Amino acid sequence: MKIKNILAAALAGVMLAGLCSCGAPAEETSSNEQGKGAAKGDASKQAILVVSFGTSYNDTREATIGAVEKAIEASFPDYDVRRAFTSQTIIDKLKERDGEEIDNVTEAMERLTADGYGTVIVQPTHVMNGYEYEEMLELCRPYEENFVSVKYGKPMLTSVEDYEDVIHAVAAEIPEMTADDTAVVFVGHGTEHFANATYSALAYRFNADGYENTFVGTVEAYPDMDDIKAKLAKSGVSKIMLLPFMIVAGDHATNDICGEEEGSWYTELKKEGYEVTGVKKGLGEYKQLQDIFVKHVQDAIDGEAEEE
Amino acid sequence: MLLAAVMITALAACAGTAEVSSDAAIYFTDDDGSEISLDAPAERIISLYSAHTENLYSLGAEDRLIGNYHTAIYPPDAANLDMYDYSEDPEKVIAANPDAVIIRPFITRKAPDFVEALRRADICVISLYPDSLDEFDDYIKKLAMVTGTEQKAEELLSKFHAELDQISNMTKDAEPKQRVFFETTETNIRTTTVDSMAGRAITAAGGVNAAQDASPSEEGSTIAEYGIERVLEKADDIDVYVSQRGAMNSGGSLESIAERHEYVAIKAVKNKRVYTINEKLISSPTFRYVKGVREMARFLYPEIMDNYDAYKNDNEATRAGFADIIVKHEHMPIYVPSSSKYYDTPAKGHTFGMFEDVKWRDDEFDSIETAVYSGAVTWTKDGDREYFYPEGKVTREELAKAVFVLGEFKASGKNIAISDLSDCESPRIVTTLVDNGVFALSNGSFEPKRAVTNNEIIAALDML
Repeated sequence: MKIKNILAAALAGVMLAGLCSCGAPAEETSSNEQGKGAAKGDASKQAILVVSFGTSYNDTREATIGAVEKAIEASFPDYDVRRAFTSQTIIDKLKERDGEEIDNVTEAMERLTADGYGTVIVQPTHVMNGYEYEEMLELCRPYEENFVSVKYGKPMLTSVEDYEDVIHAVAAEIPEMTADDTAVVFVGHGTEHFANATYSALAYRFNADGYENTFVGTVEAYPDMDDIKAKLAKSGVSKIMLLPFMIVAGDHATNDICGEEEGSWYTELKKEGYEVTGVKKGLGEYKQLQDIFVKHVQDAIDGEAEEE
Repeated sequence: MLLAAVMITALAACAGTAEVSSDAAIYFTDDDGSEISLDAPAERIISLYSAHTENLYSLGAEDRLIGNYHTAIYPPDAANLDMYDYSEDPEKVIAANPDAVIIRPFITRKAPDFVEALRRADICVISLYPDSLDEFDDYIKKLAMVTGTEQKAEELLSKFHAELDQISNMTKDAEPKQRVFFETTETNIRTTTVDSMAGRAITAAGGVNAAQDASPSEEGSTIAEYGIERVLEKADDIDVYVSQRGAMNSGGSLESIAERHEYVAIKAVKNKRVYTINEKLISSPTFRYVKGVREMARFLYPEIMDNYDAYKNDNEATRAGFADIIVKHEHMPIYVPSSSKYYDTPAKGHTFGMFEDVKWRDDEFDSIETAVYSGAVTWTKDGDREYFYPEGKVTREELAKAVFVLGEFKASGKNIAISDLSDCESPRIVTTLVDNGVFALSNGSFEPKRAVTNNEIIAALDML
């Protein structure tokens, strides 16, 4: 705790410095080499930009990403909440199919500039501090000097407290986590980024908190299906509840995890003789997980978010 | 040397040169209106359209094929060819030294410079595409002329038409006639014209196109604007809803169709008769069109098309028969991989088309691939090679695993004593199924290694 406070203070210092450097009067123009910097907007005009990968499934989108955005909107009435997706494929599809216009990150930052916002909080709905989060930061950076202040909220699993909050959030909606004969298996995407260790750290924490039959695997990285099968065999359970560990229960959840086809987690675990139930519920649908993102926005506003 | 000489002659006599002659051994006008004359069949062909590739394989001309269009992945072997694309530098094609490049008029329109560059390099460019099903035979015959496979073409075409007739005959007396809405594009719910390949497939399968009033968006096009309102006006008249899936202008997936809230009014949606079909089966001019028509007929008249009476006997089952019974009994749509990235993605399980002992030309290919894809039927890996053993026996335990994977059985906790449970690879599955009454014991034994009969397979699947 002590170490964290010191760190937080140091970070706050860094951030203040950061703020000072861009706290110039609104009418001052910047000499940004990309020519983006015009007037720095009105600091009292505040927005929260919620950045998600996106999904083309409308119901799913509103139940997950939409629900997170609504929770943020309800908690911060003084801010306008805006949406950006990082997947251009999904943006293009929605535009073509439904005529729905959704900004990518660059377009969103440009529109915030054009609309005269001075205070911007960028909150990703990413699970971890991986490539997508880094890419989002890179896309936002060139626009920082267009605003009086730009701050970034953290992905879902960042601090030690986040892990505990995530465990409480899922335990609140999955009573099976305490059943003796049932294993709850969360399956995340998995990444080549070193942030992939997040999954194992979370599994460790589940175990430490007494949820001994709750496991965390990934579709594309470590721990993989065989790693989880070995743990299941030792656990002595006969039933498995399979859930995606992804904000949106999209194509991966439908095919690779809950799909009834060779190679999917559902079918392969069934072949082992388990009674398997697949639940296509994205993390964005858990009420208390929405609150974690709200908390991360608040942390950013309060200056607890690290500015890199 | 001789071959090279032949090739040079062939090249010199191709379209666009002064020496085109109707006296040549091979002479025809292609679909760009170019006169093609060759003294001998082409030996080094690059195909720039997936259907050409597929048809050249069907004709047995794969040895003449040195290059393939980059998204063509059927038959599975074609994925191993060198890949080319008309949006790339034509020099790549020229450097491969083909004696014929087979394109389609779409490419001539879309990439005229590319095509012109090939012609300038004295490569024989042949542009073919049948605008309708009626032109299919003529198109195949031209491909056959280019490859010297005329006899094979005759055989395949007569089989093709006989099979289409056979499907039509099976469904022609079925009542009531099933009405189909065919979605080709999710945007604005576009459909297909009645005389397109897909439209003709509906008729050949004994169905009625629910969108008879669809007119082409532009003259000659097979795409017809329709729109959700008009679909909903026909809500009670749509018995079956089929969405065409593929790389371009795809129809909706089952998930996205399920999200169209207004669709609950449609009869097909209420009755859970919504299906997807791969565009390569039903809208592409290949011999696989028969499979597309058969799939359409299975969607429309499952009881007729998926009849497995021929298996109702006490003969020892083969693994190929096992797969066929499962696909028919469960009305599984045949599996077709659609992504051009399919063979680039490391496979966790079986890779489509890669069994050493079940090849794409085999009659049982689709039922075996489909049953394996479902996870119900196992297979064997030996090093890098995959085997299905189609003539092998089916053991009681293999049948038990299939039934367990396909169904939703819960452990009852009865734990009926099974004397040979220790001989079972999956004691949990065997116990659950014996407890659920799916399998009976013989003097207290499950007999996991005993071969089953066709009737035993059907009886077990009936418990699902």
